[in-house]
Amino acid sequence: MDLTDKEYVEHCRDGHPEDFGLLVVRYQKPLFSYLASRVRDGGQAEEAAQESFVRAFLSLKMLRKPESFYSWLLGIAGRVAKEQFRSAAHRQRDREAAETMMAAATDSAEEYPLEEAIAALPESHRQVILLRYYERLSCQEVATRLDQPLGTVTKTLSRAYALLRQELAAREGAEPTVNQTQ
Amino acid sequence: MNCAECRDNLVACAEGLLDREALHECQAHLEACAGCRAEYKVIASLQQRLVARGQAAAEVSLVAPVMQRVLQKRKEPERETIMSKILKHRWGFGLSAAAGAAAVILLTTLLTTPNAQAKAVEVMTKGAQAVAKLTSIHLRGQLRTAPQDNFSSINADSPFCTIELWKQFEPDLKWRVEKPQRVVVMDGESTVMLIRTDDTGVKFPHPSRSAFDTDWLQRIANISNTISNELDNARAQGWKLDTTEETAADGRLKNIVTIMAKSGVPDDDYGRNNFIGTADTRRVYRFDAQSTLLESVQIYLARPSGEVKIFDLSQIDYNQPMDPSIWKLELPADVSWAQLEPPKLPDNEKYASMTAEQATRAFFEACSREDWNEVGKFMSPVTADLKEYLGGLEIVSLGESFTSKAYVGRYVPYEIKLKNGHVKKHNLAIRKDNPAGRWQVDGGI
Repeated sequence: MDLTDKEYVEHCRDGHPEDFGLLVVRYQKPLFSYLASRVRDGGQAEEAAQESFVRAFLSLKMLRKPESFYSWLLGIAGRVAKEQFRSAAHRQRDREAAETMMAAATDSAEEYPLEEAIAALPESHRQVILLRYYERLSCQEVATRLDQPLGTVTKTLSRAYALLRQELAAREGAEPTVNQTQ
Repeated sequence: MNCAECRDNLVACAEGLLDREALHECQAHLEACAGCRAEYKVIASLQQRLVARGQAAAEVSLVAPVMQRVLQKRKEPERETIMSKILKHRWGFGLSAAAGAAAVILLTTLLTTPNAQAKAVEVMTKGAQAVAKLTSIHLRGQLRTAPQDNFSSINADSPFCTIELWKQFEPDLKWRVEKPQRVVVMDGESTVMLIRTDDTGVKFPHPSRSAFDTDWLQRIANISNTISNELDNARAQGWKLDTTEETAADGRLKNIVTIMAKSGVPDDDYGRNNFIGTADTRRVYRFDAQSTLLESVQIYLARPSGEVKIFDLSQIDYNQPMDPSIWKLELPADVSWAQLEPPKLPDNEKYASMTAEQATRAFFEACSREDWNEVGKFMSPVTADLKEYLGGLEIVSLGESFTSKAYVGRYVPYEIKLKNGHVKKHNLAIRKDNPAGRWQVDGGI
């Protein structure tokens, strides 16, 4: 019975800012996970995630494709993470250290494309992945939540896996999915 | 099992969803087939990655801090209108003074929300999300009230009586609210209330979202908005919000959100605690942790003498088909229709210039001499039951009128002796907020 991202964004724009909380519920964990991989510090990641959501809310009118809310949010989060590094460097007055941190942020990011790959999934597939792994529901619980048969959830999950692998292969330069059968 | 069948089942296998036989076949194929084994390894690896990501973020809860910042930023340029916003979103009553104070409380509350409140915010927000696409709802509960009284009236000393709401949101809005002696139906074209005690009907010739004091129940039916409003109020007015967990008899986990709501109506106000909206209440929302759906609501009246449960909503049916007969209201043949607005009389000024006390006296005196035409200038409709009850009465005394935060009109204390010898002492509710500007009896008989 959940609404789509597009519907929530439109509700917010139509004078129901409280609906933004529902988008926060949906994406807080993957966003935190994405930022935690970049900044390597839970507290900073949480701070950056909050800041990213607030900036997203304040810029919501500028979002041209409401259905791409999550991708857009990740873009904002990426900029927030970079600003955090710059700010930390400024505080330390140590340009060298800042450059090292910036480099580390880029080099140590082998995990964060996972959230970007999730953002590239069709919304119905993304929803199943988020509920199953970030909300940590069982497949049966996901089926109940989405009011779908268990078989439909399993098929969506299988398809989501295949799409994720394709995305990750493209982003991480890994070998493409083995599609041939014996 | 061949390779194609095996690969179709690999995710289900990794998820532990295969039955024993299929699992055995899948495992046997994997042992024999290096290609599928490699494929399974990739899937299992991705699954482990996802599980690890979810575990790392398991304790993250950003809804409350983000929404506090978001709403605070949104309100910054319009602080001068905060009072109107608070009043607009309240459940029932708020005081202007309380609203003014709330502007101050808001800022401190935003900064000091404890974890329990943050959890409550998240549980309720998820509850709202779970019902975002509501096509219909049916509520059935018990309210401590007189069966014939209006829909928001409460009386902690009354026994419970059933109150029920059916609401269809799509394809078009229709609703029905019913208690034993009072029913209102909005069938998409008009809104009709029938008071069964004396077969009085009231009709608005147009559809309405809410009418006849059903607003508080309608708000619960619009669960998503209710939850948002409760959160807004908790933030704005500093209401205490808390959450606990409990395990039901069937082993399912429940999230319980409790809100201590203040009406803002003064202790010495006559209307205090007489209506849902004028009472200080503890509201208990029970959500199923798995489905995140709201399952029940209890409202407790907070009195100095102790708490008493006044409302118990035990049944909530979501998106069930609605029987079309729900939207049909069977009216008695001799229904007496109440005038929605009293017409201007040729001698209207005579009545418009009366004080509340003078109008009360004129009304009771007309009853005393059984001048029902004159009585009709103060009340509509004048039913046979009313004539039987008030005809021939004697006025013992009338007091000075007073107001209440809970009512737009005035109350006039009275003591009358009915023709059966019974003496009645009460307050007549009387109002003149109508185009004719004449006092109309609104209740208290």
